[in-house]
Amino acid sequence: MSAIRLEHLVKRFGSFTALKEMDLTIGDGEFLALLGPSGCGKSTTMNMIAGMEAPSEGRILFGDRDMVGVPMGRRGVGFVFQNYAIFTHMTVRRNLDYGLRMTGRPAVEVRQRAEAMAALLNLTPLLERPAAGLSVNILQRIAIGRSAVMEPAIFLLDEPLSNVDAAFRAVMRTELKALQRQFGQTMVYVTHDQLEAMTMADRIAVMDHGVLQQVGTPLEVYNAPANTFVARFIGSPGMNLLPGRLAETDRGLAVDLGELGISPPLPDALAAAAHGAGRPEVTYGFRPEEVHLVETGPALRLPLILAERIGARTILHLGRAEDAVRAVFQGNPVLPEGVLAIAPDPASLRLFDAVTGAAIRGG
Amino acid sequence: MSVTDTPPAPPPTAASVPADAVRLGHWLTLPAQILILFIAVFPILMQLYISLTDWSPLSGRPWPRAWELWNGFANYADLMSDRRLWSAVGRTALVMIVCVPVQFFLGLGLAMLFVDDFRGKRLFYSILIMPMMVVPAVAGYMFFMLFQSGGPINDIFGTLIGRPVVIAWLSDPTLALVAVMIADIWQWTPLMFLILLAGLVGVPDDQMKAATLLGANAWQRFRTIALPRMKTIIIIALAIRVIENFKIFDTLYIMTSGGPGVATETISVYIYKVTTQDLIWGYVAAIALVILIVLSVVAVLAMRRMAR
Repeated sequence: MSAIRLEHLVKRFGSFTALKEMDLTIGDGEFLALLGPSGCGKSTTMNMIAGMEAPSEGRILFGDRDMVGVPMGRRGVGFVFQNYAIFTHMTVRRNLDYGLRMTGRPAVEVRQRAEAMAALLNLTPLLERPAAGLSVNILQRIAIGRSAVMEPAIFLLDEPLSNVDAAFRAVMRTELKALQRQFGQTMVYVTHDQLEAMTMADRIAVMDHGVLQQVGTPLEVYNAPANTFVARFIGSPGMNLLPGRLAETDRGLAVDLGELGISPPLPDALAAAAHGAGRPEVTYGFRPEEVHLVETGPALRLPLILAERIGARTILHLGRAEDAVRAVFQGNPVLPEGVLAIAPDPASLRLFDAVTGAAIRGG
Repeated sequence: MSVTDTPPAPPPTAASVPADAVRLGHWLTLPAQILILFIAVFPILMQLYISLTDWSPLSGRPWPRAWELWNGFANYADLMSDRRLWSAVGRTALVMIVCVPVQFFLGLGLAMLFVDDFRGKRLFYSILIMPMMVVPAVAGYMFFMLFQSGGPINDIFGTLIGRPVVIAWLSDPTLALVAVMIADIWQWTPLMFLILLAGLVGVPDDQMKAATLLGANAWQRFRTIALPRMKTIIIIALAIRVIENFKIFDTLYIMTSGGPGVATETISVYIYKVTTQDLIWGYVAAIALVILIVLSVVAVLAMRRMAR
């Protein structure tokens, strides 16, 4: 009933196309994160789902109901704004029961439902307080409660944590996820912060330049990025991507990375897929967390530029310009001077088409 | 933004500034303070002094020697029983009671139309605020001509109903007052419009959207979100127009000179006539002082009440 289906959704602003052909189905009760850098079209998508903007083309369906043309007040969506948009000239109670009062519910019901919501969100002692001057996490709870009290089937959240400082974000993430479990509604969460998306969402829709790049669970998106954009965007730091050519070696197919040397041979499945792709130019990708230092044998040899030691982890910046590679090690390893020889974990290797950027998938 | 809701650092108070710096500040602003004191307080004191005498420019004495014509509170006793004065006060109040609400609701309505974008908005905006920029004396002359019995307004009515209309706007006691009010509304609705538009634009857009998403209709959004947020600006707009309206003079004087008879005589017109025609300045000073006090008290009470 409260599944959301976007079909061939397009949004243009004058000659600028903010969203190019979006097709996406969000399941009933699912927590989906729309993730991407600013200007990728994620907020536009969200605003169209809420009805604040009309799509240029395509359809939006809630269940089987076509929503295009339905005004935003009648869509039954809860919306949490980036800055919460709390009615600061009212008390917490007046914020919570606003929707109920405006839609003309009987006074008894207004009172009961607002108080039940306040109890659920631990806002009861604050009910008669003016909303102005309350702390951010309370404002967030009011913003959610104010929408939730209307029992919308769909909840939209527009970067609700972007105004919160880093230390507090973890607390808010936990709280938000707990709230979603409590309500069980379909939630669409717009964010540019991959950590928020990875930790809270059931599935992530990665967007860039108005194009949906990949949809999948956080681990799918992390482990099997559909293209170089997703590979670089997800992960902190993102995946290392090096330009190279396929090369036959006596130990099997490998990638010639130019000045960095020849890579260790590719795993069989990936080698077969690379053969099948039919183009020698590839982008060689591996996660910074999945490399180890090697003494002998095939390895990438790179000068150490900088080592960031941040206690639990050490981030190494190796090489320069388009050969730049980052490697992450646990703890504080002792590092040799000068040029380091590193080898990626074979299981973590990913290849991408050098021209289209699309993943070459093995096995 | 911090984790806890610490308020922003308070602006520096007198206590946080070194005492000698405060003293220097006082010295530096002293000339300006004296000037303002002179401009504001001196005329009032002079007025108070003259109002206690029978002094007039024809009395053959310079004003500092007005004490030779001391008559105590006789002027104040006279004005209490001055019928013409009190009917002028009543008429001024009537103009205010009619004009300010009309200007307010017209201005608010127009402002609501101008919150959203539409084609030609800038052009209409410029046209709308133009009356405010017309010199009141010119506006007065304009309306004087428009309201002639053979003037354009009668012509338009005549064309509309298909036979000639001769309404003697400015020589009928009631219609003259109506004409004066129309001129005032024409000229000062734009000010209301401008101030209220600023207030409406200042209402946070996402709050209005949030209210819409929660099911509030346009009227509910206006009443529960926009109006409370505009309260201060509404009070300011009303206060400006109430005070200005009490002093209504220039446009009106050119249109009717307070006539026919005393039909459009307001406080300012009456004072002007007593000053320039009757030349009894001690009496004028008394009237002006009483009006000032009454108006100040009314303004303070009204603003306090509205602020609640």
